[in-house]
Amino acid sequence: MRNENSVLSHNPLRHGLRIGRTPEPCTMVIFGASGDLTSRKLVPALYNLARERRLPGGFSVIGFARRPWDDAQFRDLLRSGVNANSRNGSVDPALWSSFAEGISYLQGSFDEAQAYAKLSERLAELDARRGTGGNRVFYLATPPESYSEIIHQLGAHGLSRSPNGGWTRIIVEKPFGRDLMSARELNNQLLAVFDEPQVYRIDHYLGKETVQNILIFRFANGIFEPLWDRRAVDHVQITVSESIGVEDRGGYYDRSGALRDMIQNHLMQLLSLVAMEPPVAYDADAVRDEKVKVLRAIRPIYPNEVDHYVIRGQYGSGSVSGRPITGYRDERGVASGSQTETYVALKLFIESWRWAGVPFYLRSGKALPRRVSEIAVQFKTVPTMLFADMPLNAIEPNVLAIKIQPDEGITLKVGSKVPGQQQIRPVTMDFRYGTSFGVASPEAYERLLLDCMLGDGTLFTRRDEVEASWSIITPIHQGWTSGSALLSPNYEAGSWGPAAADEFMLRDGRTWRRL
Amino acid sequence: MIDISTIERELRQLWKEGAGSTAGGQAMTRALTLNLVARAQDGPSAEQMGAVIQQLTASHPSRAVLARMRPTLDEPRLEAFVQANCLLVTQGAPQICGEQITIDAQGSAVTQVASLVLALLVPDLPVALWLPGPAPLEDPLLLRLRGVITRLIVDTRDAHDAVRALAHLAAFQATEARATRQVLGISDLAWAILTPWRELIAQFFDTRPLLPHLQRIDQVLITYQPGERREGLALSLLLAGWLTASLGWVMLDQALSVEEGTVRLHLRRPAVGRGPNAIRLITIDLIPTAPSRDEPPAITSLCLRAIDGVSADFCVERGEEANYATTKAHVAGHPPISRLVRCETPTLADLLAAELRLLNRDQTFATALQSAGIFAEWLPA
Repeated sequence: MRNENSVLSHNPLRHGLRIGRTPEPCTMVIFGASGDLTSRKLVPALYNLARERRLPGGFSVIGFARRPWDDAQFRDLLRSGVNANSRNGSVDPALWSSFAEGISYLQGSFDEAQAYAKLSERLAELDARRGTGGNRVFYLATPPESYSEIIHQLGAHGLSRSPNGGWTRIIVEKPFGRDLMSARELNNQLLAVFDEPQVYRIDHYLGKETVQNILIFRFANGIFEPLWDRRAVDHVQITVSESIGVEDRGGYYDRSGALRDMIQNHLMQLLSLVAMEPPVAYDADAVRDEKVKVLRAIRPIYPNEVDHYVIRGQYGSGSVSGRPITGYRDERGVASGSQTETYVALKLFIESWRWAGVPFYLRSGKALPRRVSEIAVQFKTVPTMLFADMPLNAIEPNVLAIKIQPDEGITLKVGSKVPGQQQIRPVTMDFRYGTSFGVASPEAYERLLLDCMLGDGTLFTRRDEVEASWSIITPIHQGWTSGSALLSPNYEAGSWGPAAADEFMLRDGRTWRRL
Repeated sequence: MIDISTIERELRQLWKEGAGSTAGGQAMTRALTLNLVARAQDGPSAEQMGAVIQQLTASHPSRAVLARMRPTLDEPRLEAFVQANCLLVTQGAPQICGEQITIDAQGSAVTQVASLVLALLVPDLPVALWLPGPAPLEDPLLLRLRGVITRLIVDTRDAHDAVRALAHLAAFQATEARATRQVLGISDLAWAILTPWRELIAQFFDTRPLLPHLQRIDQVLITYQPGERREGLALSLLLAGWLTASLGWVMLDQALSVEEGTVRLHLRRPAVGRGPNAIRLITIDLIPTAPSRDEPPAITSLCLRAIDGVSADFCVERGEEANYATTKAHVAGHPPISRLVRCETPTLADLLAAELRLLNRDQTFATALQSAGIFAEWLPA
């Protein structure tokens, strides 16, 4: 029985409702609001949340950027962004006008103190007028060069702390640093102004339903966990391939490369989820504690070993799905003798009780034949051949593939008898989200923005995770810089990467999965 | 007469053909998440239910057994045929398919349907029994299948008197709760249609500063479009039952009055902050709006109001356009905050899908129904 005079600590009307609680009214301040991310991802995600009745009344957005726009222009731009990018198609005019009442624009430079004073006034005004109660989310959607200045200015104007008992959080987009030192530096700057629980480092991969399902799959099913270790697993392959080239991001990409752009964040996240120990609870710190343990257990690749453990590539011209693709060095914004890798494959070992000796092969690249993300766990083969007059290697190993995109699902390859013949053939058992559940999954940004507003950091990256990941990546870059070998285009756009990557696997008696 | 092995052979054949053919270039995949047994009373309703089952494939691919029962026809007859229910959700994605067995029974042969259904259930999957129509609780199929079904789905709005049906369903639930066998999940589609109302009212109090007001509510006003069989009143009773049960309000004995069509329920709650035994009275008014032929029976607004001390008002109102609602929160001393939300009228398939998503007994519904059943008993016929 509830004590009749007790004060409510939770909302009793929430019981039995299938959708989660709504966040408290808040204002989201988007720095760099004139950029692509805002109109392509952030605002469509916010609008979809409003459409699904997941946002509270009073929710407000302030766009902060340099361009001389007014509120109306900003709203129009966002509206066309939603029209073009929302998974629900064009905006519903009545709904949009209610949603857009909370959207305003603030013109200012990121280093202009006066603009932050104005921002502070605007926030206070919204607290009073729209009941946002001092709750704020600052979203850094700017080029990373501006992060430091914005963080500093927010601190200088007292904006890192909320009035009225509200909360303040800050979301930082990737890239989070470009090496271990700069990531540490950025963390130091952030944590000089904010506390770690206020900081939400976003990796949109973690917002994908199938990525979240890795944990459900591993820890809500009893049959896989006993097989999930060095005794049963031969090796693990993690692939994130893109079929596009660098398109209009040449300038950015040429300073980044596949190792920074994909491996350091997305693939390392996938690796930690697939290799981590069961957390003691499904909450932000318990899950991230286990993930960071995996990263710390990875055997470092020293600069002088890079050629042995890492293969890099750069695409030349070719075609993908019948569409011609210009060679990387001929893309706009790319240096003519660029040494930036557009493909990288590496072998990692996790030196833990569970995974000792099991190689984890990671590969990611651009201008590959298909856009695929998957994790494949290949099990050891049976020890002897019992059936027919066939060599043992005629039996294919069992493979459990967790597909993240495009066909989200899980596939298990097992051997089966061919009817009427003494022959064993691999068959796949497919579980596809798309065929078992016909309901559309929310976009990654919808989930992540909502989680941040609800104060749940489980799907965001913690300081120690980011730094542990960079500490694996940075020595590889050092190895490349100090080595004598020069990178030249070594794979054709539309192929599965450089020949060296295949040889790299063959050396270990293995092959890449054909995807 | 029907041979189960023939039906099963036909089903196998169906999937085999499906696997071979690629309708529109799309692969076909079999996925089953439950057994859905449905009973139709005539041809047109069987057709309508078949269409709903097909739409349900998107979220709940199932083995559906649709029984068309016509006991009043003289000649006893029992026939069955199979079909795959396939749905192409998005272009390029594989089709989602479920399978459907339609049983056509008439005359005395209707008594054999239950045994046929039992033989056709896919093992180890939940079994839902969907009984639309005015008197589901007296349906012979329910009695025969009670031991195997995990969920019963009815719609009290189908009854000749929806308010009486609510009282019956509450009594049935109480009897079931006393039975020792596996607990049966009960779903009323009239309850499912209230979900957006519950959700929108609950959202006000997800906010920390507003949560304390939930303990200070003095008045509830519910307006509804009545309908010819008291469906609107039954819906408002379910909402009143939900608030009463969720907020721990205590019913005063037989405290119900009716004036000019408005039903007023009297309850009490603890008076927070006024000492351990202090109480305050609460009223819930159920107010019919002018009946309209074009408007289906439905809730049109729901307001929670605190008047003692700081006055506060929390309202959800259906918009002039059917697909929207407006939410308004106004606490004295603060500017009112309102927003427009999308609130589309769910289809029958949406309502069923929402209920089938539940794996266990819906405790919130169970307690709401219990309170609503008591209110319904108090109401004059």
